[in-house]
Parts: sequence; structure tokens; C-alpha cells
Amino acid sequence: MNIIICIKQVPDTETKIQIKPDSSGIVTEGIKYVVNPYDEYAVEEGVKIKEKFGGEVTVISLGPERAKEAIRTCLAVGADKGIHLNDPAFEGSDSYATAKILAKAISQIPFDIVLTGKQGVDFDNSQVFAYLSRFLDIPFVSVVVGLELSSDLKSATAKREGEGGDKEIIQVQLPAIIAAQKDLNQPRYASLPGIMKAKKKEIKNLSLSDLGLSPDEVGLKGSRVKIENYSQPPERKAGRIIEGEEPAEVCEKLVKLLREEAKII
Amino acid sequence: METTREIFWNVGNVALLVYLLAAVVVFIFIYAFIQRIKLWKIGKEEKRKDQIWERIKSVLVFGFGHKRLLTEPYPGISHFLLFWGFVILLLGTIIIFLQEDILSPIFNLFFLHGNFYLWFSLILDLFGLLAIIGVLLALYRRYILKPERLDNVFDDAFSLILILLILVTGFLTEGARIAFTRPDFERWSFAGWQIALILNPSWTESESLLIWHRFFWWVHLGLAFLFIGYLAYSKLLHIFSSSLSVFFRSFEPKGKLDPILDMENQETFGVSKAEEFTWRQLLDADACTRCGRCQDNCPAHLSEKPLSPKKLIQDLKTNLLLSAKALQKENPDEQRKNLIGESISEDELWACTTCLACQESCPVFVEQVQKVVDLRRYLVLMEAKFPQEITPMFKNLETNYNPWAFGFASRGDWAKDLEVKLLSEDKNVDILFWVGCSGSYDDRNKKVSQALVKILRAANINFGILGQEEKCCGEPARRMGNEYLGQMLIQENIEILKNYGVKKILFACPHGYNTFKNEYPQFGGEYQVYHHTDFILDLIQSGKIKITKKIDENITYHDSCYLGRYNDIYDSPREILKRILEGKIKEMERRREKSFCCGAGGGRMWMEENLGKRINQLRVKQAQETEAKTIASACPYCLTMLSDGIKEIGLEEKLEVNDIAELVASLL
Ligand code: SF4
Ligand code: SF4
Repeated sequence: MNIIICIKQVPDTETKIQIKPDSSGIVTEGIKYVVNPYDEYAVEEGVKIKEKFGGEVTVISLGPERAKEAIRTCLAVGADKGIHLNDPAFEGSDSYATAKILAKAISQIPFDIVLTGKQGVDFDNSQVFAYLSRFLDIPFVSVVVGLELSSDLKSATAKREGEGGDKEIIQVQLPAIIAAQKDLNQPRYASLPGIMKAKKKEIKNLSLSDLGLSPDEVGLKGSRVKIENYSQPPERKAGRIIEGEEPAEVCEKLVKLLREEAKII
Repeated sequence: METTREIFWNVGNVALLVYLLAAVVVFIFIYAFIQRIKLWKIGKEEKRKDQIWERIKSVLVFGFGHKRLLTEPYPGISHFLLFWGFVILLLGTIIIFLQEDILSPIFNLFFLHGNFYLWFSLILDLFGLLAIIGVLLALYRRYILKPERLDNVFDDAFSLILILLILVTGFLTEGARIAFTRPDFERWSFAGWQIALILNPSWTESESLLIWHRFFWWVHLGLAFLFIGYLAYSKLLHIFSSSLSVFFRSFEPKGKLDPILDMENQETFGVSKAEEFTWRQLLDADACTRCGRCQDNCPAHLSEKPLSPKKLIQDLKTNLLLSAKALQKENPDEQRKNLIGESISEDELWACTTCLACQESCPVFVEQVQKVVDLRRYLVLMEAKFPQEITPMFKNLETNYNPWAFGFASRGDWAKDLEVKLLSEDKNVDILFWVGCSGSYDDRNKKVSQALVKILRAANINFGILGQEEKCCGEPARRMGNEYLGQMLIQENIEILKNYGVKKILFACPHGYNTFKNEYPQFGGEYQVYHHTDFILDLIQSGKIKITKKIDENITYHDSCYLGRYNDIYDSPREILKRILEGKIKEMERRREKSFCCGAGGGRMWMEENLGKRINQLRVKQAQETEAKTIASACPYCLTMLSDGIKEIGLEEKLEVNDIAELVASLL
């Protein structure tokens, strides 16, 4: 079983995001980066598949030099190898360009299943796995909360979260892309020997030329989405508690406020 | 008639036989004891051989003096009588042996006669009798009163009865001899004299007394030899193993965990097999007498969790004995049991609050907490196996340096409006206020930090904080067994403090205080540290802050484990309370050394409490019994746990908890 996991390094979810004065991006100073939380479920699932069926888990990440840390974190919990798609030319890639680069890298190695998180918690686009499915020409199942591989390893049964809390059970031929939702499993914590071993595991650097892509296909040029500027969401006003003796009285006040102040009814 | 007695009177020429038999049983004992030492030595090396005089003193004070045993009168006195009775009788026997076989035949010296003999007889009878009282008290307690903390096995009954029979047959032998010989001076052997009167009511010569005497003599001798042979195979071994345990006790600060050194180059971490403990830790297994005092003070046990510190040590012992057989190839490896999982369950290990009540109450200085942490270390570092709710806590510590999901950048936010000096802006301060995670992020505890700022300002102290440069002190991670994470945090903190040349640090949190005081030095961080209770008391005493008003209320004080048992700070908080209260300090039953944990230590703060009762609620109820309306505390964990406990029981109207700093600040 050749298991590929696509991960992304993202700012820690507790980061207070600040916008650069010229609105061209966010202030990256003082940000702690972590493995995208949804990707952690993908990693755990990959390692569990390996433990059950044997094989090799390869973690792929696209990002600047610091993304190596994220790859190491995954190696510490049981992934075997890392591939770091690392080239200044990749900077500014949108989901489309990112998927293209990933697809190129993945198609060069044997793979039976590709796992990733259902979205990155930084831009929350939730598009890479879909593009990737198109580029690799294999099916994908997203928002997966349960995964079962058939014993011949030819297909998988995925449970996905539908709208309104319904569950869909989907049978899919392998190779396929599985995008993990948070209840898929319980990501493990790295053991110390795991952390130590991870320091010695191989992380392969692949650049634009290694992949055989042209500069026009990646980065801003290869992207279809361009971010014009960044701004903070409007600050949310504090909630208000409407006081009153009787429920009826409270309701009356509420209706009045909704009509006169909020002007929504 | 000469005032003395013939040693082997009425039993014939048996000295040689007796000494031969004695040699055999003593040999059996020595052999078995050496085996035991070998057993302990399968453990790893540990340095405990320094400060010999202090160690000898410990044995005198805690062994011969029974200092800890006597903290509980009934079992203490019972053991004291038995112990000293036996010691004196043993001395008596040695004196007789010296007289009969060394001094008299070799040096022609004879002292066991005249007045010496009379006093000798009196004292021996007295202590023999006291020993009997001791045994009877012990039997009564064990088999009639049956306290919960004692579990009874055959060995307990056999040992006690054996001792009792040795003592009784001793008296019977003496009685029979006096009854036959009837010298008047033997009235000094007052107990033997009374028995003689019973054995020989007509006070005339009777041949049957000779037979009785011979019978008692042999039974007494046989039992005494049985005792020696049985010693090393039974709980009686504790006479030696417990003494050794006291001798090899730790003189390190109580609150210190041993570090794992050079982690990068180790293959395994923590303990999962008996032989991975140190010899001192294995000695504990034999030193434990199953007295159950630790268990009686253990908050985990008292709240009906699966953990009992006594059982933990006994389970280690069972495992050790099985392992030893496998290691010495008497048994195949398969017959070993897993130390974690089979002998000691994971639930037991995670139930410990590291409150140290067990160690403080153990009369023979068994050390439970380091063992619990060693076993946890194996689970966390090697297997990454722990209650799943801890995972986010560890991850938060890794990314944001606090156990909750708060960004590290907002650590200093609690002080924003107070304009507290940040060391990054001005490092010229006299003392650094180490705020800690609770004091920085927890809403209730932020108020304590603010109160402390108010006090420091009132006293004109030039202080500062690190703000977002401060990281968790590493204490919870270490106590949960995550030594790697703990050491990482410690080292990063030491680095920051070095940059600012910090020397003095003030803590509101006893956990941070303990770690800085007792554990940072292990990693090269040496500071003068103060807990706010000591510091505030000093401010009051030196007149730097003036208490003009007082609180007109009765207040109870809850001792934090890490302040009290770990660092012996019991009086400062009480002294502060005395100075600020119009009313009285209403003490709880469990206080000071025997204080009851709030339930949060050892990382329990971040674990679910699904088993048994809730420790914090038990403590709140104990506080409620004092009828005080306020619990004063001096630890952020305690503040959180007790506040929660009050809410859980629905006592918000009747009881509140305040940190001592808040109480003082309210008067400024
Ligand atoms: S440290 Fe406290 S909780 Fe842990 S075993 Fe000892 S008494 Fe029990
Ligand atoms: S560990 Fe100490 S206190 Fe606990 S049962 Fe053993 S001897 Fe008694």
C-alpha cells in the first residue's frame, strides 16, 4: 500500500491575525505554525492503514522552508518519508496551482490512496483535493468521517458527512482521494522515540525543475485567483441581555429592538 | 544463696546443640537476606550513600524513636511497645550470651549477679510484659477493630502469634524455674514470680515442675529459632528492610522529580519493568509494611478511585518477585507480568494527584510519587498512551506554551490596563512576578494576579513581568510524565531569564514556585524564589504595607499540597490571616501535613474525573463543616477546583474561595 498524505502548514488556530499596513497580506512575524488540524486526521488514517495492511506513508507538503517542520511532525507520528515541494516560484499559488504541483509530484511516485484534510484552516478554500482529483484523474470523497478498505485493497467504503448531519456511505475504487473531517479518528501524540526517529527520516526537496513544470504553471502566474487585498472582519459587537420580569415583557422589548434598532423585521 | 541464676539450668548439657542450631538459623537468615539484597540490586544505580551521619540520625529518630509512627497514637504506641520490648529482650539475651560464653569462660568475669541481676530481671520482665501488651493491642486492632486500611493475610496473624508465643513461653519458662527453685530475690522478676505462684500454689518442691520447665524452655527456644529462620521470608523482614529504607531516605527537596538526563541519546524512557527502577525504589517494595497510612491520606483512594499507594507498592513487590525469577532464569520470561497493565493499571497511574500525602505519612519513607511519574513517563514518552483529553493540553503547551487553547501572544493581556512593567521594555526591576498560566489566562485567577499587583504597588516594590515571553513553567507536563516537553519549556524559560539577568522571582502559584525552587536548578536555573504568602507576610511584618481595616469573618484555610507538604509553607498564610482577620481561622480536620488535595495536581486539572467521587467536592464539604463562609487558598489550582466544587454542590450562597492575596488587597 503506497499511502500519500498531502499536508499544509498553517498558522496556529489561536493566532491573532494582523494585516500588513499596505493590506497586501498578513503579518507573519510572531506566528506559530502548525500542521493543518484536518490534515492530522489524514495522517493518522494513513498511519493506521499502514499498520493494518502494511506499506509506506509519504507526506507531501508545499510551502516555504519552514514547512519542513510540519513534515517532521508527521514523520514523528509514523509517516515514513517526506517530500517537500519547495521553490520560491511556488509562492502565491492558489488552490488550482497548488493542486497542479501536488499532482505532478504524486504522479511521479506509486500511490494507492491519497489522504488530506477537508480544508486548510488558513484560507478555508476546500478546493485542492477536488482539483487534485481532476489532475490525477481519480475519484475523491470529501468530509470523510469513516473509512474502511476492502481486503483486496481495490476499493474503499467512506462515510461522509452530508448536509444537515446525514451520513452518506460511498464506495469508491482505489486509488482515490480521501479528504478527512475531524471525527475520522483520534490523531495520536508523537512518542519520544518517534520524534527522535523523525529527525533521521528522509525529506526530499523537489523544485520547479525537479518536477518538470514551467514557471507559468505555478505561483501567481499559474493561479486563477488573485488576492487583491486583506482586511479584518468587522469587529463583532458585544451581545446584549434583555432583562424583564415576565417572558412576555422580554419578548415585547426584543421585538421593539429588532424593528427599531436592528431594522430587520 | 547467691543472687543469680544458672543459665542452662535443668536442661542439661545442651549449650553446644543450642549454638549449633542457632548458627543454622542465623545462616538461613543471612542467606535469605543476601538474596533479598541481590533482588534490590537488579535495579539501577542511585546515589544515596552520602551524609552518613544524617542517615544514622534518621534511623535513630524514625526507627528507634518512632517519630512518624507515633503521629497516630494507637498503632504508634502498640508498635512502640512491641519494638522496644523486643529490643530490650534481645539485649538481655545478648548480655546472657556474653556472660555465659565469652566473659565468664574466657576472662573469668562474672557480673550477672547481685544487684545487677535483680535490676536486670526486673527490666527484662517489664519490657517483656510491655511487648505482650503491644502484641495484644496490635491483634485487637487488626482482628477486632479491623480498620479499613489493613488487609489481613496469613503472614500477619502468624507473625503476631509467633511473637506472642515467644514472649509467653519465655515467661512460663521463667515462672517454672522460679516455682521450682523459689529464691526470694526472684520477686524482682515480678511477672515470672506471679506465674510461679500460679504454677506452684503450695510452694513446695515438685518434680513435675522440672518437666514443665524443660518443656517450656524447648518450646521457647524452638519458637525463637523459628522466628529467626522465618524473618527474611515474611513481613518480619521489615525490621531490616524498613530500617534500610529509613537509612537510605532522600535528603533532596521533597518536591523534586529526578530528571531524565541526556534525552537525545537514550533508547528508552521511564519505567515499564521492575528492574528499570533504581535499587532504592525496589527496596521500597520490601520496606512497605502494608500499614496503610498512605492509603488513609490518599485523596485518590478516599474518593474511590482505583489507586491506593499501599496497593501500588505491594503490586510492584509482587511483580518484582515474579520478574526476579524470570531474570534469574528460574522461570521463563512469559511468566512475568507486565508492570503496567497487569500489575498496575493505567487508571491507577492517572488517578494520582502527586499530592505527596502518602510520602508524608509513610513511617518508613517509601517514595510513591517518583514511581508514579516514572511509570507515566513510559506511557507518555514511549507509547504516547494517556487519557485522550490530555492530547490537546500537550499540544497547547507545545504551540502556545499554556495548557489551554489561548494564543501565547495574549499572555500578558491581563495586565494591559494596569500598566505593569514588561521586562522587554525595562529590565531594571528588583523582582520578577512570574504570573503563570492560570494567573495569565484564567479569569478567576487573573483577579489574583491583579490583587498581587495592587499589593506590590502599595508596598512600592519595583517589579515587572515577562508578558508574552513567559512560558508555562513545565510543571504539569513533567508530572504527567511528559519529561521531554517539560524540559523543553524549562530550558526556554531559563534562556529568557538569562537574557534579562533575573535573580529574584515572585510566584502566586505554588506549582511554579516548587518547580523553580526545586527543579530548575537541575537544569542550571538558580534563582531566589518567593511564594506570595511568604512575601506578603514579610511586607506586613516590615510595615511596607499597613493593615488598618480587618475582615470581620471566620475563615478556613486550605493548604495547597505544593506549598505545604512540598515546601513546608504552613505558617505564613496563617500568620497573614491572623493579621487581617477580626474573626478566627477555623481549621479543617485535614490540614497542614495531612491536608486534603483539591484534586488538580499531577495534571489531574486537565483530566476528566470519571471514576469515584469528585475530590474537589469532598474538600469543599470538609471546608463547609468548619462553618466558615470563606475558604482562603494560596494556589490557582486550588482556587479553580474549590470554586468549581462549590458550584457543583450548589453552595454559592454559603461559601466562597479567595486567594490570600485577594483578601489582603481588599484591605488596601
Ligand atoms: S501522591 Fe497523593 S494521590 Fe498520589 S498516591 Fe500519594 S497520596 Fe495518593
Ligand atoms: S507505603 Fe508506607 S505508609 Fe503505605 S502501607 Fe507501606 S509502609 Fe505503610
